[in-house]
Amino acid sequence: MLEIKQVHAGYGQVPVLRGVSLTLEPGAVLALMGRNGMGKTTLCNVCNGRLAASAGSVFLADEDITGLPGFQIARRGIATVPQGREVFEDFTVEENLGLGRPVPDDIYDWFPVLAQLRQRTAGTLSGGEQQMLAIGRALARRPKVLLLDEPSEGLQPSVIRDIAAVLAQVVADLGLAVLLVEQHVELVQTMATSVAFLADGMIAEQVAVSALAQALTESQGPVHRHLAI
Amino acid sequence: MIEALPLVLDALSFVLILVLVASGLVIVFGMMGIINLAHGELFLLGAYTVVVAQGLGVPFWLAALLAPVVVGVIGLAIEFLVIRFIVHRPLDTILATWGLSIAIKQLVVLGFGPGSHSVALPLAGAVTVGAFTYPAYRIVLMVVAAAVIAGTGFVLVRTRFGLLARAVIARPGTAASLGINTGAVNRTSFAIGAGLAGLAGALVAPLISVDPQMGLGFLVPAFLAILVGGASSMTGLLAGSGLVGGLDRFLGGWISPVLAQITVFVMAILVIRMRPGGLFPGRRGRP
Repeated sequence: MLEIKQVHAGYGQVPVLRGVSLTLEPGAVLALMGRNGMGKTTLCNVCNGRLAASAGSVFLADEDITGLPGFQIARRGIATVPQGREVFEDFTVEENLGLGRPVPDDIYDWFPVLAQLRQRTAGTLSGGEQQMLAIGRALARRPKVLLLDEPSEGLQPSVIRDIAAVLAQVVADLGLAVLLVEQHVELVQTMATSVAFLADGMIAEQVAVSALAQALTESQGPVHRHLAI
Repeated sequence: MIEALPLVLDALSFVLILVLVASGLVIVFGMMGIINLAHGELFLLGAYTVVVAQGLGVPFWLAALLAPVVVGVIGLAIEFLVIRFIVHRPLDTILATWGLSIAIKQLVVLGFGPGSHSVALPLAGAVTVGAFTYPAYRIVLMVVAAAVIAGTGFVLVRTRFGLLARAVIARPGTAASLGINTGAVNRTSFAIGAGLAGLAGALVAPLISVDPQMGLGFLVPAFLAILVGGASSMTGLLAGSGLVGGLDRFLGGWISPVLAQITVFVMAILVIRMRPGGLFPGRRGRP
């Protein structure tokens, strides 16, 4: 569904990604883990068109989308739940979700709390509600690929579990391909099918999520090497 | 009291025209972060559109409808040919729009000469209520300007375009990643801003002499209005235009124009010193 081939990118003269290649399949959740500053968000930004790749390609369903403007990539089916949520604080929940068009009913089925809050201004919501709103807003665009950038950031464990359960259901229902940028190991274990570790701008290692539990116990395993736990 | 009424109405009509001119500036700055120094020349082009149209025998009101369309299309061309390439470089946009303002002014001088032109008043009569008499055209101008301002506010607050425009103002990167064509929204907004300036120029053309320098007379108070009120909100625009335009015309007529201008500048300096974002700063400029 989404194929990232030898992508290089950076900011000005500072290289961040140095030849990243990954493949996302429909219905699969690939977690991307790594220390801060390794380029996880940068990779999301290359995929969604916010940042131009200096080399390499991104393919969506066999179409080369490298270098397309962000709105065209979004319309082709890549939706982003950005780090920090980035909801429109002055808009109501309904305006955030629909952006002037009717909100698909299933969004409120997946997140019933948003149905109760639909006329509330987004800026007045709690962190967990804003995260649900950001995810609902992305899903309302009917994406083929979902980029989730640190969805657990700043949330309490019970909220993370609730969101993970809904996301697992949505991925199964819609057959989405998901790139999950995450530091929260428990969420990765709940949602992901495989895990890639990003280090120094490259994919250092990719393992099945089943290997993650064992990797956690190994002092020299990938989790310890790449996350400095 | 009745003697002061014409002064109040003069001030009100100036304020409404100022809101029309400044709303274009606010839309363009709010949407794109561009300080458009060519805005006064777009106002000027609106007035010259009426001059040309009337010369061709087109009735004033039709010419006044034509002016925002013509200037809006010119705005669209400016955005497409110049602004979109430098939109993320604020200093370059200031230089580019300054250059455009000089170029437009010189083109007008080449085409129409440096002298002034006059536009016939479309309504020559006056409205009399008891002892009070006031020119009919100025009353119509106020009604039209108020209606256009209300319409602009309606578009920004109540329509889907307005919602998308506000989304682009608040978070351009996020808006694009949700499928909103931010470039098209910016282009449309620039054209609307230019069209509003053109309309303002057309509406005031019968009241002042139309010459290549006329834009500056409205650009400076319009900038002062958005500095005082705040550059990213309609509330700020109304407050700033009310304070700047109201003080300028009311004190100018009541005491002296020089003292009025000094008062306006002192007030603007004090407001900027105490509230750098203006009285109603609004929100803009996030990812």
